[in-house]
Amino acid sequence: MISHAEASEKFIADAERTDWHDETLWFVREKRDKASKVLPEWEALREHASQIKDHTLANLGSYLQAFEAKAQANGIKVHWAKDAAEHNEIVHQIIADQGAKILVKSKSMLTEECHLNDYLANKGIEVVDTDLGERIVQFRNEAPSHIVLPAIHLKKEDVGETFHQHLGTPKGNKDPQFLTEAARQHLRGHFLASEVAITGVNFAIAETGEFVVCTNEGNADMGAHLAQVHIACMGIEKIIPKREDLAVFLRLLARSASGQLITTYSSHFHKPREGQEMHIVLLDNGRTRQLADPKYKNSLKCIRCAACFNTCPVYRRSGGHSYHQPVAGPIGSILAPNIDKKANADLPFASTLCGSCSNVCPVKINIHEQLWFWRQDLMAAGLAPVGKTIGMKLMALTLAHPAIYRIGGSLLRRFAPLLNSRLNPWYKQREMPETPKESFQEWYKKR
Amino acid sequence: MSAREEILGKIHAQSEINHPGDFKGASEDFDFNASLEVVGARVLTAEELEIQFPERRRYEKILDGLSLAEVEVLEIDGEFGVAENGAIWLTEEALPHRVAPFICQHLVINVSKIVPNMHAAYAELNKPNSSFGLFLAGPSKTADIEQSLVIGAHGARSLTVVIRA
Repeated sequence: MISHAEASEKFIADAERTDWHDETLWFVREKRDKASKVLPEWEALREHASQIKDHTLANLGSYLQAFEAKAQANGIKVHWAKDAAEHNEIVHQIIADQGAKILVKSKSMLTEECHLNDYLANKGIEVVDTDLGERIVQFRNEAPSHIVLPAIHLKKEDVGETFHQHLGTPKGNKDPQFLTEAARQHLRGHFLASEVAITGVNFAIAETGEFVVCTNEGNADMGAHLAQVHIACMGIEKIIPKREDLAVFLRLLARSASGQLITTYSSHFHKPREGQEMHIVLLDNGRTRQLADPKYKNSLKCIRCAACFNTCPVYRRSGGHSYHQPVAGPIGSILAPNIDKKANADLPFASTLCGSCSNVCPVKINIHEQLWFWRQDLMAAGLAPVGKTIGMKLMALTLAHPAIYRIGGSLLRRFAPLLNSRLNPWYKQREMPETPKESFQEWYKKR
Repeated sequence: MSAREEILGKIHAQSEINHPGDFKGASEDFDFNASLEVVGARVLTAEELEIQFPERRRYEKILDGLSLAEVEVLEIDGEFGVAENGAIWLTEEALPHRVAPFICQHLVINVSKIVPNMHAAYAELNKPNSSFGLFLAGPSKTADIEQSLVIGAHGARSLTVVIRA
């Protein structure tokens, strides 16, 4: 598999597009800053949200059971899946029982994590993603590159061409208003015809057994309220204790994500509508393992706002696809190694450890510290890239032995081209300073 | 062993961490009308509404959401508005159908009560729960193409709010 660094190299080959990507996401970060600074209690809200999540994770088992009991009493069918395969089987069985061959799905990173679309396609069931950005990337056979802005790696010309091919819009038309209208008409047909709708879950409330889904487009609701069967898929970490807690999370979520005051629609599904079937699938898929590890468990507090993506200097200049995971960015880089350490060993290194991610996180996850913990674990497990491992060992040896340090220094000064070569990855796209003729020590002795 | 037992078996109760309780010290100084403008809604007086949407309709409770697909302008009642973000709480009980505020082309909501912030909103909701409810803030929107804001993604293309005493 191609590593984050290699994929980024391809991404930045188009300098103009890289700049656009960088600036656009920074603009979203600035909108977040404005929206948060309006509230004098912003920092207190973050702290409060963090404490609610800490409390919930410490009592997750009892809250999950409370949620299950309430949801069942509300007439919702609750399923448990220990991994992606079980999750997909459960979802497929529900669809097969209904006899549906096509269905609508709103944004759910969890179904991306489980590769549900591919699984269902193999069973002869077509999934129509209904979030505009997700529909665009689905047409292009791509994965979303950002969890809130799935098509942020594309320009309007790309979308225009994609819609020309798939929806028959006039070639060359790249007007966002026009293209959005085309998608509206196209997807409305699917909403009106679908017997099954799948949605994600933003929050599930243990106290009431209800779940909340947030969108700006209204696609989750259009699907769920017209379908005969509604399947909501969620990770077990989405539980919060009480309804009042939603006040804190809804105030933080949209402001952190896009600088909006609140998402356009924050829908509270409490009971199925009359005559409707409603299912919830609770997925583990490595979350209990993460929960048991004190170093990493609080990454499960994440509410998927993507503020850490937008602020990250590496994400903004490498694009979401470089992370080869459904959840990219800093938070994805600490979640993914838990699921597969070897396949994601590159991700914790895709960071400058500047700490901006932790500063903007609405639930105060220590993202940059966990990136650093993962680096240590991966080095210890022998999973870091060979070059990096050798380099680190050489550096440790050199810094621990003054004699080697002095000799190494004088050698490098003499053979300066070594510093300015491909052997030194830091040299790429950088001008190294001119090498001095002597070291500080040599100069000092002469005085 | 079922997946349920297996998952719950792997979760061990951890050191006592208390729930922080209700949030205290939230700002209350917000202007509902200003927030409505931010979320892209328009405020009209009852008289202006008559001129703007003489053809609007209210609908009786129905079971078939699809029959609302052709509705041009729908008028409904919101339970209350939230000043900090322009959201309006709607419940299934006050709607013809759950899909109604999404499937119509243009939406008109009457509001007669306003609470300052989301904390006050949930305190208000502490009554018996509706089987479905939502906070709705403005018309349907998307910025998925190059971050250009487009109003009218899948839900209503416009939201008009009438604040009635």
